[in-house]
Amino acid sequence: MSELPAITEEELRRLCDFLYRRTGMVFTEAKRYYVERRVFERMAATGSGTFASYFARLRSDAEGEVEYFVNAFTVNETYFYREDHQLRCLTAELLADRLRLKGQEHAIRIWSVPCSTGEEPYSIAIWLLENWPMVDKYEIEIVGSDIDTGVLERARSGVFGKRALMRLSPYLVEKYFAPAGFETWKILDDLRNSVRFSRVNIVEPAETRPHGQFDVIFCRNVLIYFDDASRRVAAENLYENLAPGGYICLGHSESMSRITPLFEVRRFADAIVYQRTVGEPHG
Amino acid sequence: MPLIRKPAGSSSPPSRDPVSVRTALTSGTDDERWAAARAAPDMPEGVDALGDALATEHSTRVREAIFTSLARICTARSVERVVPYLRSDDASLRTGALDALRAMKTVVGPYLPRLLHDEDADIRLLACELARNLPSEEATRLLCGLLDSERESNVCSGAVEVLAEVGGREALPVLERCADRFRGTAFLEFSIRITVDRIRAQSSPPRE
Amino acid sequence: MAEEAKKRVMVVDDAALVRLYYRDTLEHAGFHVDEALNGLEALEKLLTAPVALLIVDINMPQMDGLTFVDAVRRREMPLASTPALITSTEGGAQDFAAARAAGANFYLVKPVTRERLLEVTAMLCGTAA
Repeated sequence: MSELPAITEEELRRLCDFLYRRTGMVFTEAKRYYVERRVFERMAATGSGTFASYFARLRSDAEGEVEYFVNAFTVNETYFYREDHQLRCLTAELLADRLRLKGQEHAIRIWSVPCSTGEEPYSIAIWLLENWPMVDKYEIEIVGSDIDTGVLERARSGVFGKRALMRLSPYLVEKYFAPAGFETWKILDDLRNSVRFSRVNIVEPAETRPHGQFDVIFCRNVLIYFDDASRRVAAENLYENLAPGGYICLGHSESMSRITPLFEVRRFADAIVYQRTVGEPHG
Repeated sequence: MPLIRKPAGSSSPPSRDPVSVRTALTSGTDDERWAAARAAPDMPEGVDALGDALATEHSTRVREAIFTSLARICTARSVERVVPYLRSDDASLRTGALDALRAMKTVVGPYLPRLLHDEDADIRLLACELARNLPSEEATRLLCGLLDSERESNVCSGAVEVLAEVGGREALPVLERCADRFRGTAFLEFSIRITVDRIRAQSSPPRE
Repeated sequence: MAEEAKKRVMVVDDAALVRLYYRDTLEHAGFHVDEALNGLEALEKLLTAPVALLIVDINMPQMDGLTFVDAVRRREMPLASTPALITSTEGGAQDFAAARAAGANFYLVKPVTRERLLEVTAMLCGTAA
């Protein structure tokens, strides 16, 4: 049995400096044990015999290694009401702001991209129905999009297991889902039919443009993993899909500071979000 | 039920006529120039239309889009059109140019030896950052080559900063020589010491 | 010194070793030091925790230091009046002028000695050096 390679403090610092520069994530002394463990895991998974060879792989982002490494530190499991602080921000601040700007006639449009197996767009729907006092006064259009047609099919089917529903109260499960087998529930047809799902590659403007402009976009845990050029194009595409004054929310450990200066950062009680300002950004 | 579902929309694709894109890049509203900048990579001679437009574009958003498009094109020609802006007096143009070159790491390599020995120290300093995106061995080699002949302490600091990330043991003698030449320059001495410590403390491979 | 009584400064520079050097110097002198790698990150962090002084480089990814200081000056008070010290390798007359125009309060040309950094920081924070 081979020994675990020793990794020195300086090597860990090199790695943490690199990740901070690349993703904006800060790994403090307190997280050192977890970082080291993750390095060992990834060295084994990639067959890297030395830290140097693993670090070279990470630096070049070979086969998406940055995402693999960082995955262990982000909540990448999808479930209903994940990062609900952003949902709170949506109803407490963002929607009121949007309505002040655009008035009464238009529908509220919200985009969840990537939507994966649908937990996010359906969560938004349920949250609005449950928490937004104005929900009956406006038309609300929710679109969920992903590059993976497999997850989209599952999203459309609206069938979920116990883990996906773990943050929902029994009241909500009973209200919006019907039992569909052992530890399986299916979201009610009313709700299921009210969310539109589409396939999109967010790096392709020809694919993003037809979706039109949204008031709020949720784009979590994808932008930061693109290469430099793709990140910029995707950000520009999303900017186009955002109405002037509209908001975009990223994943909890992501920041626009590593992606693009196009959006202006806004801080609300529940969340940090980014805004397509009317006029020049930061102007 | 207030939730509604509408059929997928369609949008008319932007104009594909090459003449109108070149004109649109330098006239019209910010939104029109922005759209033209984004469409330009798909146009013949788009790289030169984009490079030319940079000279007169004042909107930061449109400039960003021009740089993004040049980065997407990612050819020797797009590098050549961007490099001159490293010399700009405008800090935001320098930033835009450097970010675009960072995004073109697959084609910028051949330009680095020249940039790292440019007569302008500011260019040499910015070029150190571009070396960061190369594989470690190549970056180390280029930066060590710079360090042995570099007279400006700020440029040395820039090279040392990158060597802190990429430097291998072969950089140690060069770093020691640099420290000797710049005794008394506190920040550079500090940087070299940290970088030397990092390079020395590389773990040994596990026993077979 | 109690944590709350410490003056807070933010170092905005994309060079890790510069941030380390300034942090080292300023923490020893009793300042609390925050860091950001570029102007965008700095803006974001400032919204959560205001500081007594910004120490800002010019050449940084995504948003250069002058655009950043200008963006700070356009925000709501009291954030907009945060003192800003530019420390940069750029040392020409046009850079000083641009810094003044952007709203910077002081300018130091790199390389900056520990003593000078402390002296200017103390002055701009309104503390004794």
